[in-house]
This record gives sequence, C-alpha cells and structure tokens, in this order.
Amino acid sequence: MSAFTYVGKRLPPVDGEERASGRAQYVTDIKLPGMLHGKILRSPLPHARIASIDTSAAEALPGVKAVATWADTPGVSFGPIPAFEDWTILAKDKVRFVGEEVAAVAAVDEATALRALDLIEVEYEELPAVFDPVEAMKPGAPSINGRERNVVMPFSLERGDVDGALAGADLVLEEDYYTNQVYQAYMETMAGVVRPEKHGGFTMWLPIQIPNKSRLTYGKALGVRPEDIRIIKPFMGGAFGAKMEVDLHLVAAVLARKCGRPVRIVNTRHEDIVAGNPRVPMHIHLKMGFMRDGRFAAKEVRIVAANGGRTVYSPPIMATACYRVDTLYTFENVRAEGYAVDTNTVPTGAFRGFGNSQMTFPLETMIDQAAAQLGLDPVAIRRRNAVPTGYVSIHGWEVGSSGQEQTLDNVARISGLASRRRQAADTGPVRRGVGLAACNHVSGNKAFFPPFDGSSSIVRIAEDGKVIVFHGECDMGQGQTTAFSQIVAEALGARLEDVTVAEVDTQVSPYGLGSFATRGTTIGGMGVKKGADAAKELLLQAAAEHFGADILALDTEQSEVYLKADPSRRVSFGHLARGFIFTHGGLPMVAQGHYVPNTVAPDPKTKYGNVSPAYVFGAHVAEVEVDTETGEVRVTGYWASHDVGRAINPMQLEGQVQGGVAQGIGWALMEDMITREGRIANPTLLDYRVPGSKDVPRVTCDFVEPVDPNGPFGAKGIGEPALNPVPAAVANAIYDAIGIRFTELPITAEKVLAALRAREAAQRGRGGQGFV
Amino acid sequence: MRKQLITLTVNGDRCEVAVTPDMRLLDLIRDELELKGTKEGCGEGECGACTVIMNGLPVNACLVLAPQAAEADIVTIEGLTTNGTMSLLQRQFLDNGAVQCGFCSPGMIMTAKALLDDNPAPSEDDVRDALSGNLCRCTGYEKIVDAVLVTAALVGQGSAESVPGEGGAA
Ligand code: FES
Ligand code: FES
Repeated sequence: MSAFTYVGKRLPPVDGEERASGRAQYVTDIKLPGMLHGKILRSPLPHARIASIDTSAAEALPGVKAVATWADTPGVSFGPIPAFEDWTILAKDKVRFVGEEVAAVAAVDEATALRALDLIEVEYEELPAVFDPVEAMKPGAPSINGRERNVVMPFSLERGDVDGALAGADLVLEEDYYTNQVYQAYMETMAGVVRPEKHGGFTMWLPIQIPNKSRLTYGKALGVRPEDIRIIKPFMGGAFGAKMEVDLHLVAAVLARKCGRPVRIVNTRHEDIVAGNPRVPMHIHLKMGFMRDGRFAAKEVRIVAANGGRTVYSPPIMATACYRVDTLYTFENVRAEGYAVDTNTVPTGAFRGFGNSQMTFPLETMIDQAAAQLGLDPVAIRRRNAVPTGYVSIHGWEVGSSGQEQTLDNVARISGLASRRRQAADTGPVRRGVGLAACNHVSGNKAFFPPFDGSSSIVRIAEDGKVIVFHGECDMGQGQTTAFSQIVAEALGARLEDVTVAEVDTQVSPYGLGSFATRGTTIGGMGVKKGADAAKELLLQAAAEHFGADILALDTEQSEVYLKADPSRRVSFGHLARGFIFTHGGLPMVAQGHYVPNTVAPDPKTKYGNVSPAYVFGAHVAEVEVDTETGEVRVTGYWASHDVGRAINPMQLEGQVQGGVAQGIGWALMEDMITREGRIANPTLLDYRVPGSKDVPRVTCDFVEPVDPNGPFGAKGIGEPALNPVPAAVANAIYDAIGIRFTELPITAEKVLAALRAREAAQRGRGGQGFV
Repeated sequence: MRKQLITLTVNGDRCEVAVTPDMRLLDLIRDELELKGTKEGCGEGECGACTVIMNGLPVNACLVLAPQAAEADIVTIEGLTTNGTMSLLQRQFLDNGAVQCGFCSPGMIMTAKALLDDNPAPSEDDVRDALSGNLCRCTGYEKIVDAVLVTAALVGQGSAESVPGEGGAA
C-alpha cells in the first residue's frame, strides 16, 4: 500500500463537474458588454503581391464598427521565435499562403462581419509559388521570405565516428521516409476575446498554452509592454501543441483598439484547418548500421521540413527530429543534417511529439526491419540498446531514471507478443499481425525558452482554511489542474476538496512557461509542490505558537496540524489562518515556492547540454487486421507501457495514453491534409477524418514507476510520448500481417491495395520472388 | 431579417423566442437562451459537439433551423442537472475518466442519454455505434464507452435513482 493520501489515486477531475454539466466557461462562451464580432479576410492565393485593398464599401455597411488592414497595425515584424520574425498581424504587401490574414472586420454580429468581408476589394498579382520543401530549396525556386534557398534554419550535428561505424557494421539499412501534414483537430477552434484597456493595453481571454510567454511576442506586435497585456486562460477545449502564439488573437486586439470595444473572434472549422498550426511535414532520409548482435553501430539522418509561409515552430521541431531519439537508445555515433524550409503552405507548428514523433516512425520501423533481417527478436534488439538509469547520452542528457527495459518487457507480456507474432503465414483475405515500437521523450525543454527554465507558485491559505494555488502553467484539457491539486494536497496535508487551483491570469499568476515539451507534471508539478512545501512551513510555524510546541513535533493531514506525539491534539488550517490574518491586519497568509531544474540551454554549436530534468520511455504493441481485398487496415488490439516516474493519477494517465494512441492511429491510417497547389482540399471534419468511436480499439495500459529524482514525488510526463510510437507500431504490425513495409504516412487502404497489387505483379513477373 | 415568434420547451421551461428564418437551433440555444453548455465544434454536422435532444431524439443543433424547433421539446446538457445535482450518467462520465478537455462532453452525454433512454442495456458495439457521430480528440473513446456501459449496468441493477422528468435513468 502506498503511503500517499492522494498521489497515485484514480481520482475524477477536480474541475470535471463544470465540464460535464455544461457550466464550464470556454473562451467561445464569453460574452462581454458591448462586445463585437470579428471576422478575418484571408488570402485565397498561395503567393501573391497585394496591389491594392479597398475597404470603403465594407466600412459603409451598417453595423460595421471597424475594418482593419496592415495600415491599422503597428507595422512591425515579429514572431514566436526572435531569430525568425516573419509575421505581421495583417499582410503588408504580400501573401504567402492560402489563409493568411489580409484584413479584418468588427461588426455587431457575425453575419454583418461576414457580409462586410465580401465587400472588401483586394487586388492581387499572383506570384509563382512552391509547396514542397525539397523543391523550395532548389535553385530558381520562388523566394518566399527572402531567405537564401528559402532555408529558415539549417541544423547539423555529429558525434562519434559515423563513417567508421557504418563501415564496420554487419548490416546497413538506408531508406527515404515521409511523414505527412496532420491537423491537431482539438474540438474548440482557435478563439480570442480581447478588451481594450487604458494606456493602450488589453485584456485577452485566450485558449493558449503559453499565457505568459506569448505576451513577449504580443507586446512587440502591438507596440505595448508585455505587462500591458493581461491574459486570462479559462477552460480550454484541447490544443495538442497548436495553441501557442496565434495571429487571430492579435487581429482581435487591432480591431478592439480601433473601435474601442471588446472584440471576439472564433475560427470556423474551415479557417482553423486552412490557417491553424498543423504538424510539420518532413522528408526523412535515414541510414543505420547494425551489428550482428543487435547493437546499433551508427545513425545518420537528413531531414527537409516544410515551414509554411511564416515561421511558427518548425525550426526547433526539425532540430528535435534530428536528435531527440538519440537518447532513446545508447547511440554513440550519430550524424544529422536538417533544414526548415519556407513553402507557400499553411505555417506549421507543434503537434504532440514536436518532431520526435515524426522521427520515431522511421527509426522504429527500420529497427524492426533490422531485427527481421538479423533474425533477432524485436524486444531483444531494443533491450540490447536500452538506456539505463544514470545514463548520460552523447548529447549530455542526464537520464535520472529509466524504466525502458521494463516497458519493453511489460508490453511484450501484456500483449502476449511472442504468441501473437507470425500470423502473417495465415491464408485467407484478412491477415493479422502485431508490431512493436518504442519511444522516448523529454519532460521539459530548456532549449525552447533559453532565458529561464523552471516553475513557481503562490499558495494562499484563506481564512476558512481553503487553499488557493496560483501558477503560470496551462491546463488545456489534459488534467493538469487535477494533478496539481493532488500534488498540493499531498505535500501540504490538505483535504483535496479544500484545494483550488486558480485559472491562469497573468495579472496575478506567477510567470510560468506553460504547456509544451511534456513539462507540466514534472516541472509545473515541482513548482506547485515547492509552494505547498513553503505553505506547510507557514502553517507549522503558526501551529508551533498555538501549541507552544517545537515545529519538528508537528505534522499536517486533512487540513489540520497535529502533534505527532498526540495526534488527538489538532488545529485546523482555518483556525491557524484566521489567527494569522486577524493579527496581521488582514495580511494574506501566502507562501511561494519555485523549482529550477538542472537543465542547460544546449550549446548553439555543439548542441551539447542537458535540456530536461527527466526523460521518459515507452513501448507499444499494435495488432492489426489487413483486408487484402480492400486494403483496409483495422487496429484490433493495442497495448502500451510507459515509464512515468510515478503515477500521480493512473486514470488520467490512461486517458492520456488512450487519447494519444487514438491520435496516432489517425495519423498512421487516415489523417492527411491533402494539399493541391497550396490549397487544402479537405478542410472539413467530413473530409479530414479523425478517428471516431469505431476506429479505435481498447488500449491496455501499463505504468512503470522508477521514481525520478527530479519530478514531484518522482513523477515524469506522459502527454507526447503517448503518441510518439503509434505510427511505427501500426506500420510494423502491417508488415507482420502482409510482409510489406510502408515508409510514408498515412498508410491508407489505397496505398495498401496498390502495394499488394504491385507485389502480385512483381511475383508473377519474377516467378514468385517476393521483393520485400 | 424578418423575425418570427416561436414557442418551444427547453429543459422543461416554455419559452417564446423571436427567430429569423436562417437562425440555427444552436444559436437559439447559445445566444438567445444563453445556454452555453451546448458547444459548436464544426457547424457542419460532423462533430456532434452541439448535440441536444429534440422530441426524444438526438440532433445536431447546428443543422436544425430555429423555426423548425417551434413547439418542440428540447433537452440540453443544462437540463440534466436537477437542483444542482448531476445525473448518474454525468457522474459516471467523471468517475470513469471520460472527460478531459470537456468540449465534446455535453454533446457526448446527450447522445449517450438518448441511447440509454431508447436502449437501457446496450452492448459495447451499440454504444460505439451510437457515439460514432460524436468526435472526441482527447480520450480515445474507451473511457466514454465505459461510462455509458457502467451507467446502464447501474440502472439495470436498480441501484440508481431515475431523474424525474428526463425520460429515464440516464
Ligand atoms: S457543431 Fe454541430 S455537429 Fe459539429
Ligand atoms: S474530452 Fe476533449 S474532445 Fe473529448
């Protein structure tokens, strides 16, 4: 039995009742007095010069309160990453992708705003465009942002002796892969409500993962100080990486400033698909050397990634794809070369996995291929290269805890992997197969925001003993508020129902970095735990006076302080807080705490340096049925084991894994933003299909808890690793079923059928020789 | 645009609303009646976030025009809470971990309620069929399916009180 009261318990979400009853207020539900409705006129062309814009007819329409173009903005260039500032709030003289913001209208209702958009006349002169990043790098390709060869950022890294290791390898495999562009498809589309304030400032109600950090970018864009922007983040309907900096928030601010009234803008689903921040598509060339005993001799990768028309986060995502998997195994010889390249397509950004999920697909399918060719067991080959606790990777990443071997063993055991394999020998039209894939990830990433890393909190004990926790992180729907409540209640010895985690409001919340890099539970959790620890000190001090006892003689539980020697002598937090507050002129009983992880920003040249306080591992097994007559693939079983350090809430962990697996199955088999000449051909949820209730199997989950030295109660993250290995596990299962390896996502029925037909034709042509 | 006065029942209350011919039932519910629990995820009938129960059947409120709802009996997510207490089905959504971001939850719960009102002992396939028009991007559906099955089991055992006036235990 665990000694914990709340940590490790399957507790329902502490804010679930609001969500399940419909009371939870999301940004899209906010209605302020005098609020206007904004709509954005978006570019219909992938690349064009703006010759003229005439807004006079729109302005004359009754009910229209403001029309904005570039001339109404501060006119500065800015961007989420200071080194690549290629955004303007509204297009200046050129558009770079279909969907780019050209003008905007605020009106008394949405219908009027939409009618006004139709009245804005924009004259475009179309420019030659380029859509694929490989094409965009070629000499003579149209220049999109004036960068040499359209390269936003190159990346390179080399460690060990790659050439020597490849020359000495027993098996060398080399393959081209493509990971396609997919859409996060959170159920709440991008939105913002912005109210103008005095001194040119704004209050913004935003569904945003980085409520504090975004103010740096927004302050620059709007020509105000970051502190003049107050961001409040209410309930949020999912994000999965997409809801970082969003131009729509700034368009709403420009309109609000122009008409002096609050403005609400909510993307239609169509707008959200064509102008969101979808996953960075990547061409990946992978070459690996293997030794006969399964050791990985060397790995070499070359990546060309599409940035889209302006830079969101594709450069660090491409860089992540280049080398984060180097800590999935004990690699010694690696070389990577990567390019993030401007294209006349929708700008690309973060989506659960941040490049690591892209790279996991080639790596884990190639390892599967090597195992088959070397006659090794897929678990054994991965175990042979597994990362142990205490390992320091070639890039200086310090793995404080690793349950990797156990995740491999456990997933093999719970899935019955050994007995399920090799059903590819079955005859009949429906073939069944299983596939294994492993993954790693960070729990924080110092490289993402070099100025600082860490997290902090303010914990206030109210006069009735209730505990209010302020932090600057972000619950986007993943359950952070519940995890923080459990951590604080546990550390403080408070009743869970006495703990309230405040929604983030930058006017009162501490500066926090927000939700990315699977950092919330580990780093954010440490931030709130440190605050709770400090609050406990305060309460113990007050109780020491109350009892006339030494502080060391006291402890807390159930929102009371008690004498350890005589637990019947107790005093409530409320009594202590009232005593403190009423004898201090109403002074709040407040504690603060902070956590600074042992991370460093990697050296810009060598990329050496420990980026995260903790590292996570996982292993998945997928079982598929492939209908060889239709090409249709169904995932019929799924098992996942994850190293989570310590499970704070196993039910929420399962929810994260099951959700990540569903997204991964969507990516592997069905999801694809089909782009023709820069236009997304399937911008609806009918044509861009995400998995429904009948497309995903049950997922059996297992958690390995090595207890990390750096996480709160030893906990590490789960968000991104839950998705990372899914496409590879599914692809490996398809190989097991039909003996064909797929190197491009998604693996649609058409592709499967075409590959089966091609093999049949080749077998006939070659007298029965397979070509796999 | 010309407005017309319609009467309908929403969560047991008779209301009179002035609607335009092109107003959606979703707008009537969210903007006129200010019942913000019903969500808009797509506006095109593809996500189910806007599901309400109209005359006993689940409908996408984004596809129904407000004038079509004249004289109709509508139940929204707000109608499942009685004197501040959630229904058994809502409780089971929480206890089974079926709610993450919660944006799909009101629509999911209304679809599930309509299923259980019609079929008190559904199989897992029945539940997955019924929910197939409701998208959830967070949960992978398993815990939602479990919540519905557990609710049905509890009601079947008679260990749950039915919610009066809501046409069934769910
Ligand atoms: S909003 Fe009605 S189905 Fe999506
Ligand atoms: S809980 Fe987020 S969409 Fe279902």
